[in-house]
Amino acid sequence: MYFALTDEQRALAETVRALLADRFDLRAVRAVVDDERGDGHPADLWRAIGEQGWLSVCVPQEHGGLGLGLLDAQVIAREFGAGVVPGPWAATVLAGAAVRRDGSPEQAAAVLGPLGVGELVSTVALRGPGGGFGPGGIAVRADAAGRLDGAASGVEYAHVADVIVVAATEPNPPGVDAGGGSGRGSGGGVGLYLLERGEAGVRIERQAGIDGTTRLAALTLTGAPAARLPGSDAAALADLLRRGAVLAAADLVGVARAALARTVAYDTERVQFGRPVGSFQALAHHLADLHVAVTMAEHAVLYAAHALDENRPDADLAVAVAKSKANQAAGDATAAMVQYHGGIGYTWEHDTHFFYKRAKRLIAAFGDSRQHLEQIARLTVDTVS
Amino acid sequence: MDLSYPPEAEEFRAELCTWLAANIPAAWTVPGFWATVGEDEAFDLRRDWERRKALAGFAGIDWPVEYGGRGGTPAMRAIHDSELVRAHAPRSVNSLGLVFLAPTVMAVGTPRQKVEIIGPMLRNEVIWCQGFSEPGAGSDLAALRTHGVLDGDEYVVNGQKVWTTFAGRGDRIFTMVRTEPGSSRHRGLSLLLIDMGVPGAQVRPIRQMSGVSEFGEVFFTDVRVPASQCLGGIGNGWATAMLLLSFERGAAGISQYTAYVQAYDEIVRVARALGRDGDPVLRQELARRRVELECLHYQAMHVLTEVERGHDLGAASSVTKLQWSQAYQGLFETFDELLGAEVALLRPTVDLDLTALRQESFWTRSVTIWGGSSQVQRTIVAERVLGLPRGS
Repeated sequence: MYFALTDEQRALAETVRALLADRFDLRAVRAVVDDERGDGHPADLWRAIGEQGWLSVCVPQEHGGLGLGLLDAQVIAREFGAGVVPGPWAATVLAGAAVRRDGSPEQAAAVLGPLGVGELVSTVALRGPGGGFGPGGIAVRADAAGRLDGAASGVEYAHVADVIVVAATEPNPPGVDAGGGSGRGSGGGVGLYLLERGEAGVRIERQAGIDGTTRLAALTLTGAPAARLPGSDAAALADLLRRGAVLAAADLVGVARAALARTVAYDTERVQFGRPVGSFQALAHHLADLHVAVTMAEHAVLYAAHALDENRPDADLAVAVAKSKANQAAGDATAAMVQYHGGIGYTWEHDTHFFYKRAKRLIAAFGDSRQHLEQIARLTVDTVS
Repeated sequence: MDLSYPPEAEEFRAELCTWLAANIPAAWTVPGFWATVGEDEAFDLRRDWERRKALAGFAGIDWPVEYGGRGGTPAMRAIHDSELVRAHAPRSVNSLGLVFLAPTVMAVGTPRQKVEIIGPMLRNEVIWCQGFSEPGAGSDLAALRTHGVLDGDEYVVNGQKVWTTFAGRGDRIFTMVRTEPGSSRHRGLSLLLIDMGVPGAQVRPIRQMSGVSEFGEVFFTDVRVPASQCLGGIGNGWATAMLLLSFERGAAGISQYTAYVQAYDEIVRVARALGRDGDPVLRQELARRRVELECLHYQAMHVLTEVERGHDLGAASSVTKLQWSQAYQGLFETFDELLGAEVALLRPTVDLDLTALRQESFWTRSVTIWGGSSQVQRTIVAERVLGLPRGS
């Protein structure tokens, strides 16, 4: 029994933390947030991250990646969350995961190497305007020739992406016939497509967002040519959504832990009524409860990442538990961060809002709590005999 | 991450499961069985069954062989606890002795105490009670006033203990007594071992809100205790008690998780019987409770990892206590909620007897109080984990 990070994984966390402290602290984050017209993509940081191999953490070594698992990726995601780091890191890891899992050898060779060193910026476009995360939320259709029509919304960093993995519905799923011999199982009807920057019929427009640490854009596609990932199907989309949920949960857990630590530090110094406000039980006990919640969320993310890496039979439950617990812990911790900083916590000048807003965005990303809790009910209520 | 157990632990599991399959009457596995048995009869059944289990070699799993234990690992202990729950075995009637007193005796007891205490406890020949809390000393244990005055080679003990589990059924009690007249707080205390049957020791059961009487009060009136019946040294009671309380059920969360998931499934069956398992709001509530149970499981596996590597748990046990007690209590709040108006009834329909779940639901109100209340645990986490300044 070993339920913990390994020494190597702890060292990785330490390295990420040190690099961010050195190269991209909260002043750098603030510069990105305040530069509202800028593309929000910290190119210098990306080169450094690429050199470290963190963009290709899950890319196989034959394509120049680190060849590690989601458990290692969540180590990085947590530190990026704790540092509220801008940039399409999670989006890149997800795009890479889709290409690795479902792409042809040629596609993998063309994309994974450049993606890993940061030469190629990539992201994923999985839902349409007003749509949720899942097949029903897709508003892009593919025709038999692989041309895409429709829209995607809230796509992270689409405006700087060289390649975008787009989820599309397929009215006539290729390979599905009466014999059902394609091996796709129940997966017909959805495919993943590789869309390149600058293709005809692609319009990308920046979208104003609440979380200045992450830039979003809308995609409008009119007969845009794209290359299907041949192995993709509904199960591939589900896999991508699970990975996205775990990475979002890991980021949230990092946000939550940092929010709690910063609040504890502030309330240890801040004096009112002649004593540090953190010595008042009303605050101290709530902060203790938050420590418990954040600790549980950290465990849950660890377990979910491990469950996906190992194909454990309870992986679906684990992912839903991790995302809903991380949602709750980060929502509560960041709200408490604002509250327990008092008036200064409500100002633009203070850093609290970076954490609060990033949590707000991620809590709804890759399935909100309602969606994941209903999934848990399906798996634990409907299955009781 | 590696969530597997070593082969010898899995072999142990198989051996234990074989024994359990042959030694648990089918009637006991019916949910709610124990609520149908009288308290006296239930205690005797449990005591005898646990004794037979010990004689079969399934006790003291992670104790050294020299004390009659099995010489196993913490993981084997977790497996033992969890498989007992899964097999619907009755809970231990000697857990305060087995969990807290025995390891303390092994650590600081005299050779004679080791012989006299551990073996009979393991075989349930002696059931142990704990005498810590008093009417004026609950969360604040150091405020205790029960005192012993030396008279020859005996202490004459007077005072009152409360919340003593199995007070009316236990044979002996390990109890905190102020043995230095005029001392205060943590000084001048001793851990005395007292026979419950001696003249001057009197027990009064306390009926709990669930209606059962597992707890009791213990009154000592001029009870004479040989000075040799002290564990850890006269005047050294506080340190001995802290050592004793440090023997937390480190990885108990794993068997608690197993038990609470059983309760969760029972509650789901009730919801279904009442046609409420499709209610979208209740489904969300149930799922929220399930999240906390799964998190308890993760925390337990993490704690087991730490215990197996000999790490000091420190304030992590406060995190575990908050998580399990609140997860357990919360699950039963949802149980009450999904009953709707039927919450008022023990048997809402002819097919639905909620007596056992109802008792368990009331029981969960106590779990955030005993063993260090949630408020005490939060203070520990705030000060020792988060490093927040102490309150005045």
